[in-house]
Amino acid sequence: MTHVMHEGGPPDGAALARMIIGIAAERDRQAFAGLYSHFAPRVTAFLRKSGLPANTAEEIAQEVMLTVWRKAEQFDPARAGASTWIFTIARNLRIDHLRRARVAASAEQVEPEEIETAPSGEVLMLASEREASVRAALAALSDEQAMVLRLSFFGDKPHSEIARELGLPLGTVKSRVRLALGRLRALLEGET
Amino acid sequence: MNIRHHPTDESLMRLAAGSLPAGPAMVVATHLAGCPQCRERVAEFEAVGGVLLEKIAPVPMAPDAFAAALRAIDAEETGAVAAKAAAAKAAADKPRARRSPAMLPGGIPLPEPLRDCQIGPWRWIGIGVRASAVKVPDDPGARLTLLRVGPGRKLPEHGHFGTEFTQILVGSFTDEFGRYMPGDLTEMNHDIEHQPIVDLDGECICLAALEGGMRMTGPFGRLIQPFVRL
Repeated sequence: MTHVMHEGGPPDGAALARMIIGIAAERDRQAFAGLYSHFAPRVTAFLRKSGLPANTAEEIAQEVMLTVWRKAEQFDPARAGASTWIFTIARNLRIDHLRRARVAASAEQVEPEEIETAPSGEVLMLASEREASVRAALAALSDEQAMVLRLSFFGDKPHSEIARELGLPLGTVKSRVRLALGRLRALLEGET
Repeated sequence: MNIRHHPTDESLMRLAAGSLPAGPAMVVATHLAGCPQCRERVAEFEAVGGVLLEKIAPVPMAPDAFAAALRAIDAEETGAVAAKAAAAKAAADKPRARRSPAMLPGGIPLPEPLRDCQIGPWRWIGIGVRASAVKVPDDPGARLTLLRVGPGRKLPEHGHFGTEFTQILVGSFTDEFGRYMPGDLTEMNHDIEHQPIVDLDGECICLAALEGGMRMTGPFGRLIQPFVRL
């Protein structure tokens, strides 16, 4: 079996979405290889940044990619882009892992995505529009605000972690997180 | 429902990022069930997660990781087709095979996100104040409480070390910062001694969870402390 890896730059969002759809439609292993080479190392990096040890991060990243294969039919490009969808899978498996580590594994799992699923009838903003505006808003943040946002997004204990990384007092960090989120909100709502 | 009080952007971001603990996450999920605006914000923060995932510096996998993934897929595909079809059908049938709406004692419908939780009996914890422990199925350690407080009564008095998330289900209460109605969520931070009082037109039922520790003050507080295991 041959797996064609991508030559040149990384595939764009539309190409990644087509790969997931290819898995859903035809169990396309070449598409899976493309997704794997792009996302597995990134999901591993995300899980490590959020505090998991290296080997656990890789195990869960592996499980994330297998979930992508199994649940490809559930991917809806009108709801979320490929990266966002795979991010939520990684987030949910990370939560499951941390809970299993804390409690006996006997309990039934409730998937957070089920809790968050919107009741029918809701008009959703098109995922492509939302992702384009989020991308533009993130690009418009100052370097410091982008870093504060990144650290508070990935960190399990946001404020104390940022305080340590930036060498700032906790109170200062709290107000900077608020400012960065306020700026992001203003950008998303079209103010400047 | 006219919702006036929402979770902070930081809490919505942490829910999207997966770093909000189970108790507060359930309170926020209960808010989201009734608030399209906050659902959209969570979707935006999930998109932030997608963009950050795109931009993160990749960490190389072990050399045989992809081969191992393919072997796992092969193992699943052999004989798993029928099981998968059955699972897909069950998933498709799920909305119709809906659980009957569970009721809180007193005939109040339980919010959808709590339907899988175990709801304890109402326990008297003070004059006009009852509480019920809510168990999250996959996280027995989560601290989640339903409070049922009579008209004109104070909610259990406490000072905070952490942040308290409270979602109003029935009735209303008022504190120094405003009036809270069904669908509203308040986040009270530590350092603030606040004193919510239920409005006079009826009892108030709310769902509350605490992130971090709590120091109860006053006689009610000391009474409730062992009950809420804080």
